[in-house]
Order: sequence, then C-alpha cells, then structure tokens
Amino acid sequence: MRDRVILHDNIDAMEADFSGMTFATEAQVDEFYDEADRRMEATGKRWYFLVIYTDCVVVPEVWDRFAARGKNTNIKYGLGTVRVGTSAGTRDTIRQRAQRDMFRANIYESRDSAILALGEMRKRHETLGATAGAPAAGSEGIVRVDDIHLNFGGVKAIAGVGFGVNRGEISSIIGPNGAGKSSMLNVISGFYRPSRGRIYFEGRDRTHLAAHDVARLGFARTFQNIALFKGMSTLDNIMTGRSLKIKGNFLTDALYWGFAQKEETAQRQHVEKIIDFLEIQAIRKTPVGKLPYGLQKRVELARALAMEPKVLLLDEPMAGMNVEEKEDMVRFILDVNDQWGTTIILIEHDMGVVMDISHYVVVMDHGGKIAEGTPGEVKADPVVIRAYLGAH
Amino acid sequence: MLYREAGQFKTTYAGDQQVFPIRQDRIGVAVVLVVAFVVVPLIGNQYWLSAILTPFLIFALATLGLNILTGYAGQLSLGTAAFMAVGAFMAFNFELRAPWMPILVSFALAGLCAAAVGVAFGLPSLRIKGFYLAVATLACQFFVLWALQRIGWFTNHSASGVITAQKVVILGYAFDTPATKYMLTLGIVTVLAVLAKNMLRSETGRKFMAVRDMDLAAEVIGIRMMQTKLLAFAISSFYCGVAGALYAFTYLGTVEPEAFTLDLSFRILFMVIVGGVGSILGSFLGAAFITLLPIFLNTMAHPIEELLGVTLPAGLMSNLELIVFGALIIFFLIVEPHGLARLWQIGKEKLRLWPFPH
Amino acid sequence: MNWQFFLEVLVGGLLAGVMYSLVALGFVLIYKASGVFNFAQGAMVFLAALTFVSLLERGVNFWLAIAIALAVMVVLGIAIERLVLRPLVNQPQITLFMATIGLSFVLEGLSQLVWGSQPHGLEIGIPDVPMQWLADTLGINVSQFDVFAAVVAGILVAALAVFFQTTRIGRALRAVADDHQAALAVGIPLRQIWAIVWTVAGFVALVAGIMWGARNGVQYALTFIALKALPVLILGGFESVAGAIVGGLIVGASEKLAEVYLGPYVGGGLESWFPYVLALAFLLVRPEGLFGEKRIERV
Repeated sequence: MRDRVILHDNIDAMEADFSGMTFATEAQVDEFYDEADRRMEATGKRWYFLVIYTDCVVVPEVWDRFAARGKNTNIKYGLGTVRVGTSAGTRDTIRQRAQRDMFRANIYESRDSAILALGEMRKRHETLGATAGAPAAGSEGIVRVDDIHLNFGGVKAIAGVGFGVNRGEISSIIGPNGAGKSSMLNVISGFYRPSRGRIYFEGRDRTHLAAHDVARLGFARTFQNIALFKGMSTLDNIMTGRSLKIKGNFLTDALYWGFAQKEETAQRQHVEKIIDFLEIQAIRKTPVGKLPYGLQKRVELARALAMEPKVLLLDEPMAGMNVEEKEDMVRFILDVNDQWGTTIILIEHDMGVVMDISHYVVVMDHGGKIAEGTPGEVKADPVVIRAYLGAH
Repeated sequence: MLYREAGQFKTTYAGDQQVFPIRQDRIGVAVVLVVAFVVVPLIGNQYWLSAILTPFLIFALATLGLNILTGYAGQLSLGTAAFMAVGAFMAFNFELRAPWMPILVSFALAGLCAAAVGVAFGLPSLRIKGFYLAVATLACQFFVLWALQRIGWFTNHSASGVITAQKVVILGYAFDTPATKYMLTLGIVTVLAVLAKNMLRSETGRKFMAVRDMDLAAEVIGIRMMQTKLLAFAISSFYCGVAGALYAFTYLGTVEPEAFTLDLSFRILFMVIVGGVGSILGSFLGAAFITLLPIFLNTMAHPIEELLGVTLPAGLMSNLELIVFGALIIFFLIVEPHGLARLWQIGKEKLRLWPFPH
Repeated sequence: MNWQFFLEVLVGGLLAGVMYSLVALGFVLIYKASGVFNFAQGAMVFLAALTFVSLLERGVNFWLAIAIALAVMVVLGIAIERLVLRPLVNQPQITLFMATIGLSFVLEGLSQLVWGSQPHGLEIGIPDVPMQWLADTLGINVSQFDVFAAVVAGILVAALAVFFQTTRIGRALRAVADDHQAALAVGIPLRQIWAIVWTVAGFVALVAGIMWGARNGVQYALTFIALKALPVLILGGFESVAGAIVGGLIVGASEKLAEVYLGPYVGGGLESWFPYVLALAFLLVRPEGLFGEKRIERV
C-alpha cells in the first residue's frame, strides 16, 4: 500500500493512486485508508487530495464503506479534493454519489488538468487567508441550497434543486431560457421565499430571512433588467450601496457639519476606490438614466461591490453588451474574485465566458437541475448538450 | 461670462459635496439672505409683509414638507392640510395648557404631534402605493379634520369653533407687528430649510430617493423599507405641522378647521408640482408662484376692466383662478414635469455659457 | 331593535349607494379603457348637470337639453383627449392622475364662469316622497326617487356591461386599458378609442349629474361627490363595472348605518370620513378590491 499513497510536499498534495486496484472487501478499503491516515497524521498538517480512479473497481457492496472512510479522512486531514477518473462508469457513480451526499465531484480528464485545478484551489485559499478547512473541501460550501421548490400560483418555477457553492469560487448557473435560473438567484438573494427547501449560509440556515437581512449577511446582487435608481447620479447610486456601512441617523444628517460630514467623506473615499477600479470616473455625476446600457450595468456592479459582499450574485451581467464591453466586464469579475476573494454566483448565456471563468457550473432546465460539475465535465455531458441543442 | 466655474477646483471631497460648489452661487445666496433678513423688514410695507411674504414663507415650509414625502420619498399624499391642522391645534393647546413653555418649544412639540399622526396614517404605505396611498391620505385628511372639530378638547370646548391664537412672545419680546412676525417666520423657515437640505443630501435623502425610484432594489441593498417610509412621513408631517402652527399664529391669528380643508392640501400639492418635485429650491419657487398668482390676477383685473370698459363680475376672478391653476398644472406636467426648479437649472446652464451659444 | 327603522335606513343607504355607483361608473369606464384615474369625473358630473339645468331654465325642451348637454360632453371628451391625454401618452400613472386633478380645477372654474355660481334646483318629475304601497305593506319609508335612480343605474350598468363584453369597440377598449403600446401595435386607433371612451364617460356623468342634481340641487358641492366615489372604487376594484355597483352599495349602506347607529356616540358627522377609513382598512387586506385584478410585480 505504501506506494499507493504519495505525499507531494511541494504542492501539499496527497496523491491516492487507485489506478488498477480492486476493492472487493471492507478490509481492503480499511487497509488503504489506514495507511493514508497514518502517513498524514505523522506530518501533522493538512493536505489536498489528488485521487486517481483510472481502471479502479469498487464493488457496490463496499461503496458505502469506501465513501465513509473517504469523508472521514477528508474531515481530519483534507483541504480540497480533485479526482481523475476516465472510465465512464466510475465517473457516473462518483457523480451520483456527489449529488446525493452533497460534495463536489471535481472530476478531471487527466492528472495534469487535475493538478492545475489543485493549484488554483490553493491560490484561492491563499487569497482568502484562511486555512479553509474541511468544510471548504466541498461538502458544505459558503452557500448551499437544499431541495428548493418555488411555486407561483400553479406554475412550478423550481422543482427540487440543490447545490453548493464554495468560498472564493466563481460558480455559474446556466440553462436554456425559462429554466428558472433567475428565480433561483432570487431565492438565494432572499427575494422569493421558497415553498419548500432550505438555504444555508456559512453552515447556518437562513431560509426565512427577508431581503434586507440577507443583504446584511453579506449578499449583493445585480439584476437582469438594471435596477438602478434612475433619479440619482452614478456617485449617489454607488453611495446607496454603503447604506449598511454608513453610520448615523437622520438627526446627525440634519446637523450635517461634524459627524455626518466625516462619515460622508469616509464613505466617499471608499466609493471612489470602486469607481477607480471599474474605470467610471468620468460619469460619476451623470444621472444614471442618461447612461448607455453597458455603463449602467457597470454602475450596478459598482453599487453591489460597495456593499463589500461575501457573496456576489450576478444576473446576466453581460447581456446586451458588445465584445469590448464583455471583455471589460469579465476582467472586472475576475479581478473582484482574485483580489478580494469574493464568492461569485453568475447567471450567463455566453458559453465561452462561462467555461473560461467558472470553477463550477450548475445546469438547470425546466426548473430542475440536470447537471453540475467543472466546466470540462459539463461541456462534455450529453444531457446538457441535449437540453441546449434539442433532441438531436 | 459672469457665471463661470473656470478656476474653481475642489481638492477635497468635502469641498465637492458642498451645497453651493460654484462661488457665484454662494454669492447669490448670500445676497438673497441679506435682502430677506435685513432689507425687506426695513423697507417692506405692511401689506406685503403680512399678506404676501409671511404666507409665502409658511406655504414654502409646508411645500417643503410635502416635497420630502412625495418628491423625495415618492409617497403621494393628499393629507397635507390635516398635518398642518394638527400642528396648529396642538400648538394652541400647548400654549393654553402649559403657558410656562416657550412658544418655540410648543411649536416643536406640535410638530412632533403632527409627526405622530403622520406615522400612524403612513403605516398603510407599507402595503399600498401610488394613488391608492393617496386615497388613504384622504382618509387621514377627512378623519383628522372631523376629530379636531368634534372632540371638544382640541378647541377647548369653544362654542363658536373659532379660537384666537395666542400672542407670540419669546423671552419677553412680543412678535405682534407684521415685520416681527415676518422675521420670526423667516427665521424658523430658514433653519428648517437648512436642516432639510442637510438631511436630503446625505444618507437619509439617498434612502428616500432609493425607495422612491425602486423600492425592491433598495431592499436588496439593505435599506429597511418600513423605517425609511415611516421616517419620511414623520419628517414631512413635522414640517407641515410647524407650518400649520405658523399659519395660525403668525398669519391667520385664529385656529380654525376651515383653514385646513382639502382645498389647501391640493394647493400645496400644486406648489410641489409647479415648483419641482424633489427640489428644495422648487418648493420655494412653487410657493411663490402660487401665492403670487391670485394677486397677479387681481391686479390684472383693473387694467382689463378699464381697457374693455366693463366691470367684471365678482366671481369671475376666483373662477379664473381655478382655471388658470388647473391649466398651469397640466401645462407643467406636459412641458416640464420637473417644474420651475428645472427651468431654473436650465437657465443656469445657459448662463454658464453666455454669451457663447455652446 | 326597531327592525322597520333598520330596514328603512338600510334601504335608504343602499339606494344612496346606487347614486355613488353612478359616479363611480364613469371612473371605471375611463380607467378600464385608458388606464387613467380620472380625478376630474366629479367636475364632469358638475359641468354636465349645470349645463343641463341652465338650458332647462332658459326654456329649452327637456330632451333637447339632454342632447345638447351630451354634445357638450362629447366635445369636452375630444378636447381632453387632444389637449391633455395625447401630450402625456406613456407617462406614469401618477402624472396622469395629477393632470386630471388640474383638469378638475379647470372644469370647475369653466362651468361656473359660463353658467354662474348660484345653486340650481332640478326637477325631473319624480317626487321625493315615500312609495305608498311599501309604506302601507311593510311600514317602511323608501323614497320613490331613490328607487327610480336605482332603476336608471341598473339599466345603465346592464347596457355598459353588454357593450364591453360583446362589441368590437368594447374589446378594443379593454386592450387599450391593458397596454397602450401593444394596442397601437395591433392597429387599434388609440385616439378615436379614447375620444369614444371619454364621451361615454361624459354621458354617464350627465346621467349621474341629473340624478344627483335632482336630489341635492346642482351646486358646487356636487364635485365632492366624486371624492366619495373613491372608496367605492377601492372596495369594488378600479376596473370592474360590477365592482362599482357592489362597492357603491356597501359604501352607501355602511355610511348611513354608521351615521345613524354610531353617530350619536361620537357627535355625528361620521359620513365625512367613514367610507374612507373603511376603504383604507380594505386596502390593507385586499388591495385590489373585491372584483379587481391582482397585480404582480416582476423583477
């Protein structure tokens, strides 16, 4: 067993090489995991897991044991898992289990792409400065929705959808029109109350919170049909994003000079940083109603960023933009994720963008979830292809 | 040429956030204040002070109050006169039952009572919008007026229903001439206008405007709808209440329900529309316009009579007033929905370029 | 409790409510067809009644006077469409509402400018006396006039309902009420439709004006009846003809009953605010009214 467990010190990864192995008895499962546990215990630190499933056979009777030991090891020593498994059967089994037990399958085609993904995961965790720990290994995530059902009168907008989003990642929800994506986003942002199901934030149930309390938790969002305050300037719109952070009340406002003025100036400084970041200095005093569509979307993003959110929900941020505007927007989104480690949930139709920037993709159709996984997995999934292109 | 910003840079955010960033504006405002506080009381005649300027200031204050609620926070209200009535009656009662209290404090407390009524009748705004809300405020208008008339405590069980307002005496000094009443009103209105401007250009104002423009988006940002809407009602009603108290104490001299009918509510709404929704300057402009219009029409009557050689019937002027008011409303709504304030702004922008065309 | 008295008050209230419904009908018509809440409806009632009664006083034949008054309302309708509605196409509802407030002032001033401001009495031949056989059989007093008004309102409502449901113009009106631009897109002649609607509303205003004028005299206070129609509309829903009737009945009955039974405890005068507070309470529970349509806001 020794040579099946390889510790790569330089990338803090434990490679579990199951290739060609057969697990037929629980004893065999335990033998492997005991070895792995012992080795990692001796180092006294946590590891990323790189699991090679090529030509590996796990007999159905021992799958539960296999999964339970794996989860156990993950909780004790894990930082994040990537898997390599080229057999279709194995892939399917893992995915099914991932859906049922709510963890990330994270399956990659080759060892190299898996290691690349591992590297990105590390970088993300570094940006966040946290050790992340077992929960970030994919079983809980910063946001999790469980079995969400949403009805409007007789119309079922969402029927039993659940998935998790990891801290610091960009996750996309894609699907044909009318799939329920915006509704899902509305549920996550607290706009709609699901008729059934739960929403968890950082492990705690927040299903029944109202929209403004959800904002307080650290959620910000943009809307499909821009929801800017048309009567105010760009600067004022972004300043409204500081509503939760700004101190004072109407009395201190009325006696402006002194406390309120200091607050205004301090908040203004913060807002100006965002204005610089999104390159909208020239339009700060313009009433937003006069701005072209692309700029309005940027201002809406600025307003969302002003809230210093932990989770940013973007509803079709690139809709109606030309190529240059899209590139700008992609650059901003990536910068936000890179520099501030903000978790991003994105609804977008541009497949190129989605596949390029997402760490994880959830595919919806007719109110249900039809697939999920890394961009590579989803792109190759026949169910997804059929949903988008029709029966042929 | 004169009205140029060239050379006036702002190097601090505080400087950029000034109310009057352009120096010429600051000079202009200073001039207006000097004229208002110093020149007018010295040279103004009785008639102008007591019948035109004082009511103008009072209406401007009420218009400001309504503008806060309808213009900035987007909650349509037809109950302005009722809030003014509460202010007037409560000021009377405070003066009557607690004569040791300074009258300014009575005014302030009366304003607070109006604010309380405002919050009570503003509660429906949490569920209803637009002209449904207007109908709810109508309920307020009728109910409050009825209550003030029927419940004897308010009128101190006066037999005639018309009560005389007490004299305004502050620190021994009696404000009983047109000039002193004007100064008192001017002082109070100026202070409240400054406070309003401060509130509306900071977070409070932004919250109001957010709720007005798109309340659902405001919620998502974390703005609490209930508190914001009720605060708007409270502040607005406070202003209207103080205006009502001033109306009774420095203008009418009496406290009577008939002065605060639905008609007055509409008048103030017209001042908001004509002056400019969502603008403090507009409140003053609108109040001035509507206050001066009947006087203008009346003074026109004489030359027209002479010109045409006829004596115009008595009711003609008042009917003409109605027609002109209504036509003006429609005109402004069609041509410049943002009222005189916007016209003023456009004028200023043209002035920046003058004498060049662009 | 004296049941006969209660019945009398109730029936009296219901019949008064029918009169409110007559005015509310005009509102509903215009709102249904143009989405505009016509605050000037009361002023239109006033103008129609004043024109009619002034013509009568100048010796014009009854039916001719009606025809002329109707013609005036038609002209008015066209003028309103041209001068007020057309420039304000696609403005938010609130703007149109405020424009109709302005319009009401213009009409009030105009009416009195042309015809003078004195109150006029109006006789249409139905006396305001109790119906004899009801008094004899059930011992209650119900005014003949009120019953006549109820019958007239009933006929009017039936005619309008048929008009809206079955005729092509009726359908077009409903389309216009839903979405101006969409209606234009399918080729509905918006301007003509609006002119027609405001004319029909003018006719309804004339009938209401005659009824109210005969009851209370034609005077400036007539314009305030329109305000009473607002609670009727809230209870019944702004878009429903049936709602206007039901709402009117509820308002009329509750107003009278409240005045008679609760009034003595609070010094009277309940009529001035009771329907509004009732409407307010209703709004909190069911904002779209009994017969109105629920509006869903999409994000």
